[in-house]
Amino acid sequence: MIPNEPGSLRVAGIHKSFPGVQALDDVNLEVKSGEIHALVGENGAGKSTLIKILMGVYQKDAGEIYIDGVEAHIHSPVEAARHGLHAVYQDLVIAPELSVGENFFIGNLPMRAPGVVNWKGVYRQAGEKLKALGINVDPRRKILDLSPGEQSMVTIAKIVQGQARFMIFDEPTARLTTDETRQLFELIQRLKQNNLGIIYISHRMEEIFEICDSVTVLRDGRVVGSEQISQVTEGRLISMMVGRTIEEMYNIRRGQAGEVLLEVRGLTSAPHFKDVSFTLRQGEVLGLFGLVGAGRTNLLRAIFGANRVDRGQVVLQGKTCLIREPHQAILAGIGLVPEDRKTQGLAMPLSVSHNMNITSYKDISSAGVVHRRQERSRTEKMVQELSIRTPSVRQIVEHLSGGNQQKVAIAKWLCRDADILLMDEPTTGVDVGAKVEIYALIEGLIQRRKAVILCSSYLPEVIGLSDRILVMAEGNVTGEVTRQDANEELLLTLASRLSENGTAAKPE
Amino acid sequence: MESAKNMKSPMVTPPASAPVRGGERKRVLTLSTELVLLIINLVIIIAMSLITDSFLSVYNIGNLFKQASIIGIIAISSTMVIISGGIDLSVGAVTGLTAMIAAVLMSSDRMGMAILPALLITVVLGTLIGVYHGFIIYDFHIPPFIATLGSLYILRGVIKLISEAQTIARLPEAFTTFSQGEVLGIPNMVIVWLVLAVIAQFILSNGTFGRNIYVIGSSREVARLSGIKMRQNTYAIYIAAAFLCSIAGILLTSRLASAVPGGGGGYEMAAIAAAVVGGASLSGAKGSIVGTVLGTFLMALIANAGVHLKISPFLMEIITGALLTIAVVIDQLRNRKR
Repeated sequence: MIPNEPGSLRVAGIHKSFPGVQALDDVNLEVKSGEIHALVGENGAGKSTLIKILMGVYQKDAGEIYIDGVEAHIHSPVEAARHGLHAVYQDLVIAPELSVGENFFIGNLPMRAPGVVNWKGVYRQAGEKLKALGINVDPRRKILDLSPGEQSMVTIAKIVQGQARFMIFDEPTARLTTDETRQLFELIQRLKQNNLGIIYISHRMEEIFEICDSVTVLRDGRVVGSEQISQVTEGRLISMMVGRTIEEMYNIRRGQAGEVLLEVRGLTSAPHFKDVSFTLRQGEVLGLFGLVGAGRTNLLRAIFGANRVDRGQVVLQGKTCLIREPHQAILAGIGLVPEDRKTQGLAMPLSVSHNMNITSYKDISSAGVVHRRQERSRTEKMVQELSIRTPSVRQIVEHLSGGNQQKVAIAKWLCRDADILLMDEPTTGVDVGAKVEIYALIEGLIQRRKAVILCSSYLPEVIGLSDRILVMAEGNVTGEVTRQDANEELLLTLASRLSENGTAAKPE
Repeated sequence: MESAKNMKSPMVTPPASAPVRGGERKRVLTLSTELVLLIINLVIIIAMSLITDSFLSVYNIGNLFKQASIIGIIAISSTMVIISGGIDLSVGAVTGLTAMIAAVLMSSDRMGMAILPALLITVVLGTLIGVYHGFIIYDFHIPPFIATLGSLYILRGVIKLISEAQTIARLPEAFTTFSQGEVLGIPNMVIVWLVLAVIAQFILSNGTFGRNIYVIGSSREVARLSGIKMRQNTYAIYIAAAFLCSIAGILLTSRLASAVPGGGGGYEMAAIAAAVVGGASLSGAKGSIVGTVLGTFLMALIANAGVHLKISPFLMEIITGALLTIAVVIDQLRNRKR
């Protein structure tokens, strides 16, 4: 290759195999300075392997990396940084107990005298750097006290203060709210204007279309295509990733609405939500839509007994139930797939098998002793049915991909044979392929006369999957829309009905 | 949808990605913690047998096990608490108190009660301390560290009150000879230790209670949202811990043929150290009784080796501390590699 391409990061003919797997096969990719380039593909497509090679975590088997046309040899993240190559991961590498300012200067705090830190200088310099990037955070605050959004901004600012030329963002919005995402996008745009080249990895199509200039699709370790964003549609991108069209994604077989399983009457939990009433029938998917702070998560948790209720009734199959603790809800046949699987849904350091059976050890034990053979066979069956990709049922859940983790979090309730499944954002941080599989699980549930409450911020998903949609705004139910009447405008109008400031915020 | 289902099939056999295989390697590593400890124990035993003449004798090995057994039983209790993400600093004090209660009840100088009712009362009173811990930790949301630290001081005071800071002796002979007895050449104390260890390991790996403990240790919120009854389980964990310490206290009194006001002092740290050397993690959800038994034995073995090699006891304290630190460092390094 001729070294004549200033302001570009280019990889050519990268091969990488792990024992038994060709992880990357002849991968080419080019990112120019001042460009935001999306890297998409299902989990296992090779995105993280490619990033790890760029960052020097893995060594490539063959191929070259060129920076400004000059071949770069990168054997460690330190060397990558020396080439101006940085990555922002989902998990923050920042000291949570220290202040923003301190984090900026870890390892080389400005000194007034040997051993005496110049704190004023620390905060002033950090403050200037943050301001230059349009980040409005007090450098004296502890990282711990910042919101996830502010944390990631600070992390990025810290990285950029070095000589960054190319930045890799790996699912940066997974933990962020709408507002924070917006701020992050502004920051990324500013980096782009500063002539940084950016590789942006995300499962969220809408984000890619919003901020990226070009895109490369990986499938099974190969590049399926590289396009300008203006040249592709969302549907086309998804079919490139998975080899199937978008219409088929939400197309699940509807259930036969049967008798009423759950009736909620005037449920109130100040200040989160008030006077919520609805019914849920067998074989039904009830969508729950609303903006940030609409009270959806609180409502689900309250029905499940995880949050306090002030007044109101939960009627299950005609009987009024007093649910104060989750174990009572579970006994009554309710399951909750929580919003954050890492801190609420799964015991991360434990095995797939352990996690799947947590809710139902009673069924496979006698006198408090678990029948291990029964446990194993049932878990293996579940792993196969849900096509959970794991080397064994004894694998630690932490090491699974997001989609597979989520399937385990759902399988917990399938093992328990819950009648009502409350799902809070079940497809967040999950790749397209796993999304489709989760939709198929919902389909399976309603076919078996179970009922699902699906809380989702992604409009096409709520509209595509629900039989009815309950819309909430600021703790109130502002409307119930049937499948036939549902469209994005209507739902958004209902969702922002009570907003005092009148600014119709975007969905989460 | 049938068609969509068929389309799923290509995804069933994807190329396994690298992190997944890394995870599998991790499992093998975790399993071998116990094996590594076993090997270290054996290496020291073989080395000591070759270096010294006095080490390898039935008397010494028997004594070694006997020395380890009381801490060993307490370490089982510590391990269960640690796996649940908690900590119990009062185990030494509970052991000391129950040792004293048993002595006061049985001593002909004091109440002169018959052995069986005395032991029964001792165990009940000791176990009640666990109920108290469950109450204050679950119902008052007091962190286990603080709750049990408070108990440590309270119980030490109670010991001095009921013993009037005196050594209590003159115990029934049938009681004191128990600790000297043996079955088929195995000391009674060791039998009690190992039987309790086997039961505890069985509960942890096969019992629903044991499974719950690991889940609670990995995240209380996840445990609660999975329907684990937090109150019931928190109580059970601390009750089991106090029960085990009561047994240890009774054995201590039997072994010393008396109870001293400072009995069990510092045992909490020895027990926690044994659990940690055995692979338990203070952040919860990790550890096993097999590991703890081997860890307890290793600590006792090193102390014993020090005596036979005539190493200064002061130096031995330093070595023990260093060993604990190394064990934790190795554990950390392994975690990082994952």
